[in-house]
Amino acid sequence: MSRDPFTLDVIQQALSAIADEMFVVFKRTAMSPIIYEVLDVGTGITDPDGNMVSSGAGIPGFVGVLDKCVQHLLRLLPKESIRPGDIYITNDPYYGGVTHLNDAVLAMPVFADGRLVAWVANIGHWSDVGGSVPGSMAVDARDIYAEGLRLPAIKLIDAGVANEAVLAILAANSRLPDFLRGDLWSAIASLRKGNERIVRLVASYGQDDFAAAIADYFDYAERHARAGLAKLPKGRFPLEEAMDDGTVWRAIIEITDDSFTVDVRDAPDQRALPFNTSRDGALVAAQLIFKMATSPDTVCNAGSYRPLRFLTRPGSIFDTIEPAPHGYYSEIRIRLADMLWHRLAQAAPEMFPAGHFASICGTVIAGRHPQTGRRYTMVEPQMGGWGATATRDGNSAMYSSNHGETFNCPVEIAEARYGFTFQRYALSDEAGGDGLHKGGPGMLIEYAIGGSETSLSAGYTRNKAPVWGSAGGEAGTTNRIEVDHHAGRHESYAFVSGLRLEAGDIVRIITARGGGWGKAT
Amino acid sequence: MTRVATDVGGTFTDLVYFETDPATGRQTIRTAKSDTTPPDFERGILDVLDKAGIALPTLKFFAHGTTLVINALTERKGVVTGLITTAGFRDVLEIGRGNRPAFFDVHYKKPEAFVPRALRREVGGRMTYRGEETATLDLAGLDTILADFRAAGVGAIAVCLLHAYANPAHERALLAAIRERWAKVPLVASHQITREWREYERTNTTVLSAYVQPIAERYLDRLEHSLGARGFGGQIYIMQSNCGVDSLAATKTIPITMVESGPASGVWAAAELGRAIGMPNVLALDIGGTTAKCALIEGGHVQIKTDYWIERSRTSAGYPIMVPVVDLVEIGNGGGSIAWVDDFGKLHVGPQSAGAMPGPAAYGRGGTRATTTDANLALGRINRDYFCGGEVVADMAAADAAMAEVAGQLGVAPIEAARGIVRIANNNMINALKMVSINRGHDPRDFTLVAFGGGGGMHAAALAMELGVRHVVIPRGAAVFSAWGMMMSDLRRDYFVTRLIELDVADPVAALAALVDEIGGQATAQFAAEAIAPERVAMQRLVKCRYQNQEHTVEVPLGAGAIDAAALAALVADFHTAYEREYTYRLAAPVEIVGLHLVAQAEIGKLDFLPLEVTGATLSAARKGRRTVDYAQDGVHDADIYDAALLEPGMAFDGPAIIEDSGTTIVVHAGQHVHIDRFGNTHIEVPQ
Repeated sequence: MSRDPFTLDVIQQALSAIADEMFVVFKRTAMSPIIYEVLDVGTGITDPDGNMVSSGAGIPGFVGVLDKCVQHLLRLLPKESIRPGDIYITNDPYYGGVTHLNDAVLAMPVFADGRLVAWVANIGHWSDVGGSVPGSMAVDARDIYAEGLRLPAIKLIDAGVANEAVLAILAANSRLPDFLRGDLWSAIASLRKGNERIVRLVASYGQDDFAAAIADYFDYAERHARAGLAKLPKGRFPLEEAMDDGTVWRAIIEITDDSFTVDVRDAPDQRALPFNTSRDGALVAAQLIFKMATSPDTVCNAGSYRPLRFLTRPGSIFDTIEPAPHGYYSEIRIRLADMLWHRLAQAAPEMFPAGHFASICGTVIAGRHPQTGRRYTMVEPQMGGWGATATRDGNSAMYSSNHGETFNCPVEIAEARYGFTFQRYALSDEAGGDGLHKGGPGMLIEYAIGGSETSLSAGYTRNKAPVWGSAGGEAGTTNRIEVDHHAGRHESYAFVSGLRLEAGDIVRIITARGGGWGKAT
Repeated sequence: MTRVATDVGGTFTDLVYFETDPATGRQTIRTAKSDTTPPDFERGILDVLDKAGIALPTLKFFAHGTTLVINALTERKGVVTGLITTAGFRDVLEIGRGNRPAFFDVHYKKPEAFVPRALRREVGGRMTYRGEETATLDLAGLDTILADFRAAGVGAIAVCLLHAYANPAHERALLAAIRERWAKVPLVASHQITREWREYERTNTTVLSAYVQPIAERYLDRLEHSLGARGFGGQIYIMQSNCGVDSLAATKTIPITMVESGPASGVWAAAELGRAIGMPNVLALDIGGTTAKCALIEGGHVQIKTDYWIERSRTSAGYPIMVPVVDLVEIGNGGGSIAWVDDFGKLHVGPQSAGAMPGPAAYGRGGTRATTTDANLALGRINRDYFCGGEVVADMAAADAAMAEVAGQLGVAPIEAARGIVRIANNNMINALKMVSINRGHDPRDFTLVAFGGGGGMHAAALAMELGVRHVVIPRGAAVFSAWGMMMSDLRRDYFVTRLIELDVADPVAALAALVDEIGGQATAQFAAEAIAPERVAMQRLVKCRYQNQEHTVEVPLGAGAIDAAALAALVADFHTAYEREYTYRLAAPVEIVGLHLVAQAEIGKLDFLPLEVTGATLSAARKGRRTVDYAQDGVHDADIYDAALLEPGMAFDGPAIIEDSGTTIVVHAGQHVHIDRFGNTHIEVPQ
């Protein structure tokens, strides 16, 4: 039967609007600044088999997580156990969690007339899930057990009834149980809203048109991807890059007329340190680069990735075997994305900007507020400089390619919330990134710690080798976090966890300038 | 009493004139239109006054709306602006919030700051978030800064210091110091515009206000003089973005508050109409040539917020303007929106518009691309023999050719393409209406859809069916309905103030009472300075509350009585209820107060809706005939055609029908019932 194309279009747009609405609900009700301000969250809808249909605005690093989680759930769960009103939760990369234990993924099956028609899911960063340090991201974790509470894809809500035992365990395992509870209910409200909307949508148009709209949406996105693929240079592009720790990573991109293959089987072995990612986590990096290269301005769903192949080796840093830790998986993932981007820029310098600061620069400060005496945990990524392009200078201070609709915390709010005193919130004037077009400046932030019981954890890469320039442009600079201890000691860090800070200590964050493009004339 | 409202748009300057005969209560309404005349906009206003034959000396009330501010911003026609801020923070304006809405696009370009780095300068001195001074203001560098500004041709100065919302003492001292050194420079400080935190938003708002200030001031001065020279002795009121009007003097100081005045007056008119007809829950929809705007009105109240951004889209982070603006969603979807087919076979409508020139293909002015208007013509919804109220002969050959091109790209018949355009356009508007209702926790089925603007009546009935809305109202004079809003507005000021009050500390009642007294006193003083006595000023006190540690707040009304422990307890209980309604759950967590939103309003002799005369004419006299109309999904029907000018209160009929007015067409679907109310508004009952 040939369907009216406009009906399919209306359903597709509704699905996109529903994912956005789920995002809005999550953002507006969350308890933690990392969710409501940094928007370290994602929402999405998949088809009954876990293929991504639409996702709410958020960060690209989270767009491709939810479908993989649902697919994992479907492999783990007996089909007959999935019931209307159920909500599943996982944070464990060995159980469909994809990222690290801080990220809670919730998923809810959507039923229409007794049939599973879709899933709604969301992911949000919880500020603390236990483990050895506040913020749960210890840089010296030897295994995943040291990183906090593991939730192995369990039913949190059973046919609408919350499992109070699980809720009690969750709260007991966090240093910030009130925040966790608030964020959890916010996530649940977001899913229930999405479920309600999809049920109504299916009731309006019927299951057949609903399914046809999804299939058509996948095909539409695939056509976009293939049109973009046709414009890319073809061939086999091997690459390697030395990391801050001296290890060398190798990979191969192979582009043909109808496929884009990323082969990372030659990557280093996984480590007993939190610098690993699950295969799904690494796949997100490959998807991100493929999407940026082929169809950056259009819909994003499972169809967008049909031409992509991804090859990994179990037991490597890009395809972990239990119990390797994952705390700083995102640095591993962004390093992979950055080196793939670099190789594409070498192959087609006009099509891609030079490198950007390319690190999450995750910064966690926990302590006691000097005025209210309450405990706080600040968890935030940093902004940095972006690379120049063939036509203009690079952007100043924006979040990394892993982020998108991510917002900084205003200084005025940060001072009230954490009791810090900021001395500077500025663009960094460090030299670098020269060229025909100049790389954009990174950040220079300086604040004095106000309260007591303060500790700092951070994970910055691109700390030794500077940001790459393109087409003859100069390299940019590097990322680091410094502490002026009031005793007169001065330290510079890339990775640190649980560092004690005293009131009056100065924290200084410096992020890299982007790479230049073209030779200066 | 005679009143005039003029509205300067990008293309036309509109005038609506109302005269109420005090003896009979009879209302005379006249409208006129003339060309907008940049850069001397006041000339267009005088032209339109002449055209309408208005004798200025008899006029008491002159309300004015203009797109001057928004145009100066979007066209970058402001003056070179210098910024002075707190030492260490001059880059805040450029750093912005760091977000990238087009997050897969590596070529995304960050919006450029309105002040370049060389003109962003710093002075020493610090306040804390509690308003305590920790370093005194250091003016040692000010002379150098001002000398540099003069050398660079700076035409206005913006001042924004950290935590000035909590304590503006340093900003005040800095303003005075600049005035001493440079008496004539247009100058504004952040505390004069807003008392809310968030330094980027506040800085950008101050900068944008300074950027347009000289232009706005010159414009308003000329307007005042031109009207005065013609003998006008009444009051001039300027439409604001908060659904109120403000005095000329206040607007000159802070012109940025005019930024969304056009849409705001339409929303206000819809709110007034809802109250007049006993339907205070309204979804307002204003469909113009280029955009559609929607807003939600609950219980007669419009929602005023300070989270307004210009140029924000899926491809740009935009620029924040932290002033009171009616909460509305605007999309690039109007009568002139262009239909296009992407490389992958999907039909889109807008946001690009054919505008007034060349306009839709059927205008016959060289437009070759199909627009929503062309699709409505093709479907027989718009009368091709009465196009634009009979002022334009529809160029159907051009419209058919444009439609054939879209159809060819889609591989469907032209009539299918036309249906598709109307459906996609409707769908875009449905999504916008959902954003102001469903996304804010409201069910559209509980609201009356009030649709106006040239295109409101064309789409409203179909949108209502899709949203489950049971009742639609198309106001009399729908095409110029926004102008009503200007003449029905109160003198209104919204004060937003950030102040943290934790409820578990010493004396929250006293702290809240002090805040309300302080801001209430400030409002009273401002009105008093304009000779409006305190008893004429109505105040509404909305307290911004949240669960401790959350960020987003809910506004909870504080009763009119004394602020005591019982009032505070009621406030907290109301917060839990309001929060749960919006977000489906409540928490046992402590509640805290983050600030106050105080609304102060004074009536200034505004216009009322008056009943329309009944002559006893029959419905058949209003019926012009029948024609075949394509209702897209609802099939093709022979519809009765009515002349809106001949419809009178009490008349009623059933769809399928089309009601034709000079400025708009109302499409009524089969099974829907129409009646005309005592004010002459068209009501459509939509069975579900």
